[in-house]
Amino acid sequence: MIPPPDSPEGAMLRFIRKRAVASLISLVGLIVMVFFLSRLTGDPAALFLPVEASAEMKQQFRELHGLNDPLLVQFGRYVGNVVTGDFGESLRKARPALDVVLEAFTWTLWLAIVTMTLVTGAAIVVGSLAAFRAGGFFDRLSSVISLVGASVPDFWIAIVAIVVFSVNLAWLPTSGTGSLLHWILPIAVLFIRPFGIIVQVVRGSMIGALSSAYVKTARAKGVKSGPIIFVHALRNAMLPVITVIGDQAASLLNGAVIVETIFGFPGVGKLMIDSILQRDFNVVLAAILVTALAIFLMNLAIDLAYALLDPRIRH
Amino acid sequence: MKRMLVLGALMLGTALSPAFAGSGPIKIVLPEEADLLEPCMATRSNIGRVIMQNISETLTELDVRGDKGVMPRLAEKWEQNADGSWRFHLRQGVKFSDGTTFDAKDVKHSFDRIMSDKNACESRRYFGGMTVTPAVVDDYTIDFKADPVQPILPLLLSLVTIVPEETPLEFVREPIGTGPYKLTDWTPGQQIVLTGRDDYWGAKPEVTEATYLFRADPSVRAAMVQAGEADLSPSISQLDATNPATDFSYLDSETVYLRIDHNIEPLNDVRVRRALNIAIDRQAFLGTLVPDSALLATAIVPPPTLGWNPDVKVFPYDPDGARKLLEEAKADGVKVDTPITIIARSANFPNVTEIMEAIQAQLQEVGFQVELKFVEVAEHEQYYSKPFKEGRGPQIVAAMHDNSKGDPSFSMFFKYATEGTQSGFSDPKVDDLIKRASAAVGEERAKLWSELIAYVHDEVVADVLLFHMVGFSRVAERLDFKPSMATNGTLQLSEIKIK
Repeated sequence: MIPPPDSPEGAMLRFIRKRAVASLISLVGLIVMVFFLSRLTGDPAALFLPVEASAEMKQQFRELHGLNDPLLVQFGRYVGNVVTGDFGESLRKARPALDVVLEAFTWTLWLAIVTMTLVTGAAIVVGSLAAFRAGGFFDRLSSVISLVGASVPDFWIAIVAIVVFSVNLAWLPTSGTGSLLHWILPIAVLFIRPFGIIVQVVRGSMIGALSSAYVKTARAKGVKSGPIIFVHALRNAMLPVITVIGDQAASLLNGAVIVETIFGFPGVGKLMIDSILQRDFNVVLAAILVTALAIFLMNLAIDLAYALLDPRIRH
Repeated sequence: MKRMLVLGALMLGTALSPAFAGSGPIKIVLPEEADLLEPCMATRSNIGRVIMQNISETLTELDVRGDKGVMPRLAEKWEQNADGSWRFHLRQGVKFSDGTTFDAKDVKHSFDRIMSDKNACESRRYFGGMTVTPAVVDDYTIDFKADPVQPILPLLLSLVTIVPEETPLEFVREPIGTGPYKLTDWTPGQQIVLTGRDDYWGAKPEVTEATYLFRADPSVRAAMVQAGEADLSPSISQLDATNPATDFSYLDSETVYLRIDHNIEPLNDVRVRRALNIAIDRQAFLGTLVPDSALLATAIVPPPTLGWNPDVKVFPYDPDGARKLLEEAKADGVKVDTPITIIARSANFPNVTEIMEAIQAQLQEVGFQVELKFVEVAEHEQYYSKPFKEGRGPQIVAAMHDNSKGDPSFSMFFKYATEGTQSGFSDPKVDDLIKRASAAVGEERAKLWSELIAYVHDEVVADVLLFHMVGFSRVAERLDFKPSMATNGTLQLSEIKIK
């Protein structure tokens, strides 16, 4: 059943459709750009084959992978295949590029979801409490973590964490995948920076909300601190917070290259960097498409969350 | 669960019977994942380290630890026929891991597959400039006819992995071989597991199962061995190699050098090239920016290589001599003031930035104008290999060359012949020596290579040879294993002993 166009649901649908069309256009633009820009970086044959390989071998490699055709022909073929869901083969791994990307993206997605859930929950609680009592314990805690997140490079934190928790204390595995324990260090390292940023936004936004007239009214009525912070003020303070959460989540979805590299986590960030360096064009394109799509969906979710939280947007 | 079982089995093994000691599973952590497990790509190091001689075997094998030269593997013996072709007598009673029997038809198919245009097999590059035709004589005899005649064909066949006749020409993902192990698990991005075969034709290795893990960061690899999560990391950083009980350095067959482009003034003048060589204080790098145990190079190939010439001496460090040579050249009208660009590859080897900056400073000290340019691997390759760009200025490319194959032919043609892809000059005597040495055998071959090495170094002053590099490895104390020159490209599990 289609809701009437002037109902709030109809407006919502129109809004989603408009966003989808806009995103589709930028997605197409992205494919065109990445396709041609990546080809500008040079010839994959030079990297796949050793420096001693003969010109004939390189020529034959290009022939085998259709790299000798004019660029526009290659592009036409690529688009034709993508429309049918075929993203081509990875040059390096000799298997479908989309399989390679989805495999890696699943790891990244889980890493991002778990990290951002923990970060959001912790930042909201700690940030709200910090705003409620400026200079108190939570305020200091959040300042310290923000400072660390902003100033200490994460590869250093990661290596130190491995030395302390895996080598010396032997509590956690150094790296890799396999058990839940393997997730703790990477998530802990990834946690710090977005938490440091979001907690400050929550704090700032909450200070504004807590000094507003309706909070004073609630206090005058005798409402307890808990409900004041987490029911009345928080909802109004969340809009800017959601925007920042979206930004931080997007950067995690693009892959956490450093954490993936150090912890041997098979995510999409390292895959993308490696593929660019090795000129594995099909993997680069598939990875960019998949992450772009994920970010588009997430932005849509954020827009919907806005509308849900703020009736002014809904109506 | 599986881990518990293995652990349980291990504990039982150690508790109940000392006979179990000296065999068991191990874990190896490598810097780079094998992105393919294709036997015909085994000459690429990240792939070869996992499958070469473990899953896939070759007819012959080069002895890199001793001086036995080319040894039998799947071929029991070989001889050269009167017409110059080679006859190989194959081992009988060998089975592939899929149960099929190994015979001459498999050898022929393996070779044809490498030469096929349906794939991009890397091993093909070793057969450039020749036509090799395999012909099956009977089930266990095969002839290889090469045109022109190849004196090192038995050595070349140490690079051809044998696959069953049924293997498709396209790349495979499940390698089948005659080796002591078979692939039992490959989870991309996570691990590769090889398990020992009961029906292997040779001696049963002590390592019953090997799990390969991949970590790009060297300190994580070192930490993993220390924490007991891995037993062996063939490459760790020098900074982490601090425990004499577990950490070893080894000559790793990589040679660092500066390739000079002789085509552009002032690098076309031999005095200028000599000045470059004596302006660099090679010794000062050892124990500072380059590991103490590295060797100063006088050839593009490391010492255990055939024909390596002990009479060629490292250029002395003589800055005054360099200044004088430059003055002489200048007096003859050579434009020695033209800025020379050194092109190096970022992260090519440890401390490459600092080493190149130090070399730049030493060269400037004697009066060279030197610019330093760091590029990524792909761009580096464009400077290193022909065709060189038209209109370029005087250029020097800092590069690292690997030859663990025991014969200079894998280096000399590419680096020094007129037609060589990375050769910066053309010299008829060099071309002639390479041609004759490549065709020679035995003593004569070694003699010709020695002559070439001396001529290139002393007379042509072709390049600035710097260091034969060393690698650092960490080996858990329960293992008895020392990495060798071959470890970069081959890591034979059967060579690893368990204490």
